[in-house]
Amino acid sequence: MKRILAWAGAAAFASLASAAATGSAVAAPTCENGTIPVGAVATITGIVNFSDAPNGAKAVFDALNAEGGIEGCKITYTIADDKGDPAVAAQAARDLIDNKGVVALAGSASLLDCAVNAGTYVRRGVMSVQGLGVDPLCFNAPSVAPVNVGPYTLTTAMGYFADTVLESEKLCAFFLIIGGTEEAYQEAIANYEKLSGKKIGFVDLTLPAQGDLTPYLIKSRDAGCDAVVTNAIEPSIVQWVNTADAQKIEGIDWLFLAPGYTEALAKALADTEQPIYIGTEWEPYTEASEANANWDAVMTEAGLPKTAFSQGGYLSANVLIDVIKGIDGAVTRESVTEALKTMEPISHPIAGSPYVFGDAPAHAPMQATKVMQLIDGEWVLKTQDWLVLPQQN
Amino acid sequence: MDGLLTAATAGLSAGGAYAILGVCAVFTYRLVAVVNFTGAAIGATGAFAMVALIEAGMAQFPAIVLGVLAGTLTATAIGVVMTRWFSGATASTKAAVTAALLVGMIAVGLRLTGGQDAHLFPAVAPGSAFRFAGVEVTNAGVLTVILAVVFTFAAETFLARTRTGLRLRALSERPMAAELMGIPVRRLAITVWMLTGAMTTVALIIIAPQRSPNFASMSLLVVPALAAALIGAFSSFRAALLGGLLIGIVEGLASGIDRFSQYRGAVPFIVILAVLLWSQRGARWDEAR
Repeated sequence: MKRILAWAGAAAFASLASAAATGSAVAAPTCENGTIPVGAVATITGIVNFSDAPNGAKAVFDALNAEGGIEGCKITYTIADDKGDPAVAAQAARDLIDNKGVVALAGSASLLDCAVNAGTYVRRGVMSVQGLGVDPLCFNAPSVAPVNVGPYTLTTAMGYFADTVLESEKLCAFFLIIGGTEEAYQEAIANYEKLSGKKIGFVDLTLPAQGDLTPYLIKSRDAGCDAVVTNAIEPSIVQWVNTADAQKIEGIDWLFLAPGYTEALAKALADTEQPIYIGTEWEPYTEASEANANWDAVMTEAGLPKTAFSQGGYLSANVLIDVIKGIDGAVTRESVTEALKTMEPISHPIAGSPYVFGDAPAHAPMQATKVMQLIDGEWVLKTQDWLVLPQQN
Repeated sequence: MDGLLTAATAGLSAGGAYAILGVCAVFTYRLVAVVNFTGAAIGATGAFAMVALIEAGMAQFPAIVLGVLAGTLTATAIGVVMTRWFSGATASTKAAVTAALLVGMIAVGLRLTGGQDAHLFPAVAPGSAFRFAGVEVTNAGVLTVILAVVFTFAAETFLARTRTGLRLRALSERPMAAELMGIPVRRLAITVWMLTGAMTTVALIIIAPQRSPNFASMSLLVVPALAAALIGAFSSFRAALLGGLLIGIVEGLASGIDRFSQYRGAVPFIVILAVLLWSQRGARWDEAR
C-alpha cells in the first residue's frame, strides 16, 4: 500500500514538473501594470460606419479579460474614430501610438487608415492586424496584414468563380475608382486572365459614384457579356439591379463584392429575378454553421448585431490574442511586432485561408471566399466549400 | 450611329430628372431670388422620410403623402430661415447660405439614413413605357419629363397671367417696394418654398428607385439641376427644361464613348462654364473696347 502511494506521489510530482517545464517552454507572456494596450482606427462617423468591426474585436477582448486575460494581463482596447478624414486619421494613429502606447492594432476598419498611416506604422514599428482592409495600401504595406480578402483579391476570386462555376465565357468589369485604386483593380483583372486563360470582355473604370447607370447596363448588354463583376457598393448595387430590371436585361450574371452582402440589400432586392452573386470575406454570417458558432456566441454575449464586419473584428482580435499568447517574456511593441513577423500561419474556421502576418513588403494572406446567391430575398450559399484562389507564380 | 442613339436615349431618363429639378431651381430663383442649393436635398429628405415610414410598416400611399409633406415642411423651414434672416441679403449671400445648409443637410442625412445602407424605394411608376434604340424608356422617366413640361408651362402661365404671379415677380425683383405696397411678402415667399419643396419631393420619389438610394448622391442631383437652370439664365423655364434634358443626353453620349466616359461627371460643370463664358462675352468685349 505504501509502495502504491509512493508511486502515485512520484507520478503526480513528475506530471507537475513536466507541466511546469512545458509551461515555460511554450510561452509565458508578461506585462507591465497588468495591461496590454491595443488600438484600432476606424471610420465610424463620416460617409460610412464601419464600427461593427472594432466593436466585434472589443467583444473578444472583453470576453478574454472577463476570464482573466492572458496570464493575468488585461487588454485595454482603444477605438479611434477617423471620421473618414485623413487629418483625423493621422492624429488618431499618433495618439494611439504615443499616448496610449499600443503594442499593435487589431480590428481597424477604415476607408483610409492604411493609405494615411501605413508609413507611420512602419516607422514606429507598430503592426496592424487590420479587421477590414479597404484601400489598396492595406494589401501593399509591410506594416498591415488584413484578415479580410479585400476588394482586389475578391474581384479576381469572383472572376474565378464565374469561370469555374458559372462557366462564363465573357466576363466584363466595371469599377468605381476612388483615389489610387485603379492599379489594384487592373492587377486583379490581369490575375483573373492568367487564372482562367480567358480574355476579359472589357474593363470600364469610369463607373460614377452617383448618376444614372442605364448607359453602363446597356453597354454590358450590347457587348454581349455573360457575367459582369463590379465593385459597386451597397446602395449602388440596388440601383444597378433595379436598372437591369427596368432595361429587361436577361442572361447576365451579376457579380458583386462583399459590401453588398447584407440583409438590408436582400430585402431591398427581394423581388428581382436577376442572378446576383456576392463573394464573402469570411464564413457567410447568415449561415448558422459550426464555423460561426463561437463568433455567434461572443456577439450574442456582447449584445452586438451579427454582421460581416463584426466577423473581421472578431477574427483579427483572435489572431492577435493567439500571437501574444505565444510570446515568451514581456509583451511590448517590439516583441509583438517580432512575433507577428515570425508567426506560423493560424487557421480559424471562419476564414478560408490560414492567416499569417510574416515579414514581407506586402501582405494579402486571405485568398478564399464563399459565394452567396440572392434568391427571393434570401442569401443562399452557392459554394459549399471555400473557393480558394490557386497560387500564382 | 446606332450606338450613339442608344447612348443618348439611355441618358434621357437622367435628363428628365435634371429638367424637373432645374425648372424648380428657376422657379425658386425667379420668385424668391434665391439660387437654391438645397433643392434636391429637400426632395431627398422627403423621399427618405417616405422610405423610413414604409420600413416601419406603413402602406405605400399614405407614406408617399407623408413623405411629400415632410419635404414640404423641410422646404418651409428653409424658407423661413431665408425670409426671416436673409431677405435683405445679396443673391450671392443667399446662395452661400443654401450651400452651407446643403452641406449640413448631407452630413445629418447620411448619419440618419446610413451612408452605406441599402433602402428599398418603392417604384411609384413601375415598368417601361416603350423601347427605343434598344433602350427601355421607363414609365418613371416618361413621367418625370411630363411633370417637367407641365410644371414649366404651369409656372409660365401662372407668372404671366395671374395677379399672384405678378405680385411674386414684384416680390423677387423689388422686395422692399413690394412690401411697402402692401404685398404680403413673407407669406408669398413661404408659399413658393412650400410649392417647390413638394414638387422636388414628388420628383425624387419618382426617380429614386433608379438612383443610388443614398442621401448624399440624391442631394447632389442639384449640380446638374443648377446647370440646367443656368442654361435658362435662371429666368427661362423652357430653356431650363431643354437644358436638363440636354445634359442628360450629353452624359449618356459621353458614357457611350469610351474616351469621354471617365469625364462624364464633368458634363454639368463644362455646361456651366460654357454658358457662363457665353453669357459674359458681351461684358468682356465691352470692357476690351
